[in-house]
Amino acid sequence: MTTTLSGRETYKDELAKLAETEQRIICLEADLGGKNHPFQIRHPNRFLNLGIAELAGVDIAAGLAEAGYVPFISTFAAFAALRAAESVKLSMGYMGKNVKLVAPYGGVSGGWFGTTHHALEDIAVIQSFQNIRIACPHGEEETRRVIREAAASAEPYYIRLSRNDAFESLPRASQRSCRDLLVEERAAPDVWPRLCLISVGEQATELCMKLAEEYDFIVHAHACYVDSQSLKAYVEPLKALADRFLVVEEHRATGGTASYLALLMSEYPVHSHNCGEQWPTYGGTHAEVLADLGFGLEPLRRQIQSLLGGLDGI
Amino acid sequence: MEQSVPVYREQELSDLSLADRAREARKLIIDMAAAPTGCHIGGSLSVIDLLVVAYAKYGHDKNNSVILSKGHAAAALYAALYVYGRLPTNPAESYGRQGSLYTGHPNHKLPGIPFATGSLGHGVAYAAGWALAQRLQGSGGLGIAIGGDGELQEGLIWETAQIVQAQSLTNFIYIIDCNGGQNDGYVDDISPIRHLKERFEAFGFAVREIDGHRHDDIFSAITTDSDKPLAVLARTVKGKGVAALEGNPDAHYAKIPANLARRWKVSLS
Repeated sequence: MTTTLSGRETYKDELAKLAETEQRIICLEADLGGKNHPFQIRHPNRFLNLGIAELAGVDIAAGLAEAGYVPFISTFAAFAALRAAESVKLSMGYMGKNVKLVAPYGGVSGGWFGTTHHALEDIAVIQSFQNIRIACPHGEEETRRVIREAAASAEPYYIRLSRNDAFESLPRASQRSCRDLLVEERAAPDVWPRLCLISVGEQATELCMKLAEEYDFIVHAHACYVDSQSLKAYVEPLKALADRFLVVEEHRATGGTASYLALLMSEYPVHSHNCGEQWPTYGGTHAEVLADLGFGLEPLRRQIQSLLGGLDGI
Repeated sequence: MEQSVPVYREQELSDLSLADRAREARKLIIDMAAAPTGCHIGGSLSVIDLLVVAYAKYGHDKNNSVILSKGHAAAALYAALYVYGRLPTNPAESYGRQGSLYTGHPNHKLPGIPFATGSLGHGVAYAAGWALAQRLQGSGGLGIAIGGDGELQEGLIWETAQIVQAQSLTNFIYIIDCNGGQNDGYVDDISPIRHLKERFEAFGFAVREIDGHRHDDIFSAITTDSDKPLAVLARTVKGKGVAALEGNPDAHYAKIPANLARRWKVSLS
C-alpha cells in the first residue's frame, strides 16, 4: 500500500525524480529541507544548503538561472515571501529570472509553531510583484504536476505548500494543465448552481469538496494557480458556472484571490471565506488554528446559509 | 574557451588605452551630471577606474559577469560599457529622460547589464550565484561584484559573504570602492566599517588593499590565484578627477549646468 505524501515531501521526491533527466535543475535549501533530503541523496552535486540566508539565496538563485540552470529554492512561506520579499520582487518579478521558490508552511499549516512561522499574507505580497506564477496545489498528484510544470516553464514560480497535510488530489485529465480551472464533476449537472465555491489551497479544497458533495446547488471550482494572469483566464470559465461566487482560501482577505476576482468580475457578487483579521496567537493543529480564525466547515456552511438565505428547498 | 560579446564602434575604440577609456568615461559621467536629472557623480567618479579595468580584464568573456552592485553609480556603469562599445547609443544623450532605458540605477534591459541593481547588496549575491553556476559548469568563469563601502552596512552583504565562504567560491571577486562617503555624509561618521580587512579575512576571503585609481594596481589585484574568494579593498576618492568634488561627501549627487560640465571636462584632459 502506498502512502500519500504531504506537499513538501512530494516536492522533494518529484524534484529528485525530474533531476534524473533534467541536468539543469539545482535544488537549494535555506536549512529547512530536513535530513535525508531525497535530492541531496540522489544528486549531491546539485544540492546546496545555503544556510539561513533567504534574501541572498533568492539572488544567488537568480545568478544560477542567468547561467542557464533551473534553480528551485525552498524555505518556509513566511520567510520566502516576506523575509526575502525584495529579492523576490526584483530578481523574480521585475527581472523575471527563472527561479522557482517553493514555500511549505503556507497559511497556518505550521499549527502550533506560532505566528512567526505562519504566512497568511504571502499570496497578496507575491501577486503584487507581477510576473510570478503562483501555484497552490492540492494533494500529491497536483503537487507533482505543478513541480513538473514549473521545471518545464521559463517563468518564475512561487509554489505554496502546506506542512504535513497529505491529501489525494482531485482527478484531472492527464492532458490538462494545472493552470486550467478544475471543476469538480457533479451528479446533477442539469441543475443551475446557485453558488460556485472557488477553492484555493489544500484545506480550502477539502472543505469545498465536502460541501459540493452535500448540496447539489453548489458547484466547486478548484483554482490551483492564483497569480493575476491565471485569475484573468478563469473569468470566462467561471461565468459559465454560476452567478454568485464564494472564494475559500487560507489567507487574509486583503490581497487575496477573492479581492482580485471581485475586480475582474465586477458584475458578479464575489464573496470570501478567509482567515479574517486576527493574528493566530494560539497553538494547536493546523485545523485547530484555522478554527480559531473562523475558517472551517461549519463557519463556511453558515456563511453560505447567510448568503443564500438558507440551505434547504433548493 | 573565451566567447565574444557584441561590440559597437569597435574600430573607433580599439586603440584606446585604459587611461583614455577612463578619461572618456569620466567625461560621459560629467555629461550625465549635466542632464536635467543630474546623477550620482561622486561615487561614479570614484568607481570608474575599477569598472574600466574590470571590463578590460574580464569583459570579453561571456563566462564572466561584472556586476556593479552600488547601482546608484549607474552613470559610471553606462560610461564604462559605452567606452568598450557595449552600448549602442551614448548614454549621456538621454540619461534619465522619459522613454530612455538609461535610468538612474542600472537597467537590465540594456545590453551588458544582466541584473538591475540599486537596492544595495543584491548585486553581490547575484554575482555569487553567477560564480556558483560557473563552478558547477566548470567553465572557468568568474563572478565579479563591484560595491561600495557604505553598502557594507547592508546585512545582505554579510549573508552573502557567509555563503561565499561556505561554498568555497574561489572564482568570486568582490571589489569594494572605499570612497569613504555615503548619501548623508562620511561612512565613518554614520556607521563605521572598522577592521574591514580582518572582517573579510574572518569570512575566509583573501584580501588585497590597493589604490583604486591606479590601473596597473587594479589590473594585477583582481586576479584569483588562491584557494579563497577574493576581496579587493580599493581606496578611492569620491569625485576623483574633478577638483571641486574630490573628497567632498556632498558630491554624492549633483546636477550641474552645461558650462560647468564643459570646464570640468576640459580640466580632465
